[in-house]
Amino acid sequence: MAGFVPPPPPPAPPAPPKPDEKVDYFDLPCPIPYEEIHREALMSLKPELFEGMRFDFTKGLNQKFSLSHSVFMGPTEIPSQSSETIKIPTAHYEFGANFIDPKLMLFGRILTDGRLNARVKCDLTENLTLKANAQLTSEPHMSHGMVNFDYKGGDYRTQLQLGNGALFGASYIQSVTPYLSLGGEVFWAGQHRKSGIGYAARYNTDKMVATGQVASTGMVALSYVQKVSEKVSLASDFMYNYMSRDVTASFGYDYILRQCRLRGKIDSNGCTAAFLEERLNMGLNFILSAEIDHRKKDYKFGFGLTVGE
Amino acid sequence: MAGGSSNSKSNSGLLSRISNSISGSGIMFHGKRAASDAAYVTKKLLQSTGKAAWIAGTTFVILVVPLIIEMDREQQLNDLDLQQKNKQATLLGTTPPSRSQLIHCSGEQLG
Repeated sequence: MAGFVPPPPPPAPPAPPKPDEKVDYFDLPCPIPYEEIHREALMSLKPELFEGMRFDFTKGLNQKFSLSHSVFMGPTEIPSQSSETIKIPTAHYEFGANFIDPKLMLFGRILTDGRLNARVKCDLTENLTLKANAQLTSEPHMSHGMVNFDYKGGDYRTQLQLGNGALFGASYIQSVTPYLSLGGEVFWAGQHRKSGIGYAARYNTDKMVATGQVASTGMVALSYVQKVSEKVSLASDFMYNYMSRDVTASFGYDYILRQCRLRGKIDSNGCTAAFLEERLNMGLNFILSAEIDHRKKDYKFGFGLTVGE
Repeated sequence: MAGGSSNSKSNSGLLSRISNSISGSGIMFHGKRAASDAAYVTKKLLQSTGKAAWIAGTTFVILVVPLIIEMDREQQLNDLDLQQKNKQATLLGTTPPSRSQLIHCSGEQLG
């Protein structure tokens, strides 16, 4: 009937408090891989800042196969001994092809200056994964490649790493409680005759992630990420090198809104950066990147466009 | 005449004596030094305030201004959604939903 007005829905009853579950130590969740232990902090605090103009075009030929074309023009920094930064304007075009399958992923990129990047990720069995990546350059002795074998157990992960130049590495991470996971790694670099051992811990709840990592190379890294709401998260990071007495602390925010993603950070080295990805249209993203270093008076601004999914 | 000249001589002598006593005294010397110190400190203060204002200003432009712009756009988008939901509800003949229900709905859609 026209005049019938449905009654407004009753307010939802408050959710009953979760009873304290007894922790089943034989059924813990699988931990994050060791190299991704700082993942949330890195995503918020270290966006891919660039200087110059960047244009990426990705075209899918198939459900699994896609090609990508990318143009970059801008100054590139050359590492120099003196405190001044030396920038050389460069421009290059990069062609790439991706093949993505649930079990196999292949990824290749080639640049106009002769560099080739290739990555392979293959699920050999349900628990064992093979990852390989290689970078070939026309300069002698600058090419390198690396192979990783990852094994995923019930509540642990192990990884074995082999690289050229006699690089060996192994890491292990285990879930100790539903929220806490601990891990360690060892590596040996034959070419530089260096070896090291490191430990890491990660405490993860729905709202926050806290990680800590210590390595015998002298690095201590702590990070804390708090998810303030669905759209906003704040991150902070502290890095200390006890060999070279180098300290860096940084704070950042990450806003994921419907039309854009904005990340900003400020550093104790007097460096502030911001990175904005804005969705202009379906499949069209506009990128702005800014980095200001007040101490070295080095200012980097970049803009770009990404077309394709 | 002699008295006048002696008077003028003693007058000029008196004035020069007074000015000499003032400029040659310790007070004048300290006053000048204090004034130059104050000028130096003021100049340094202005310079460092200028530098601090520059750093604060550029950092504000980079960190805060895009955030304000994006949050404003998000707010506009939300208001547009609210308007559309209102219009839809009145078209269908139901009462327009209350604001808290709308926010709950849009929250569900986004989440």
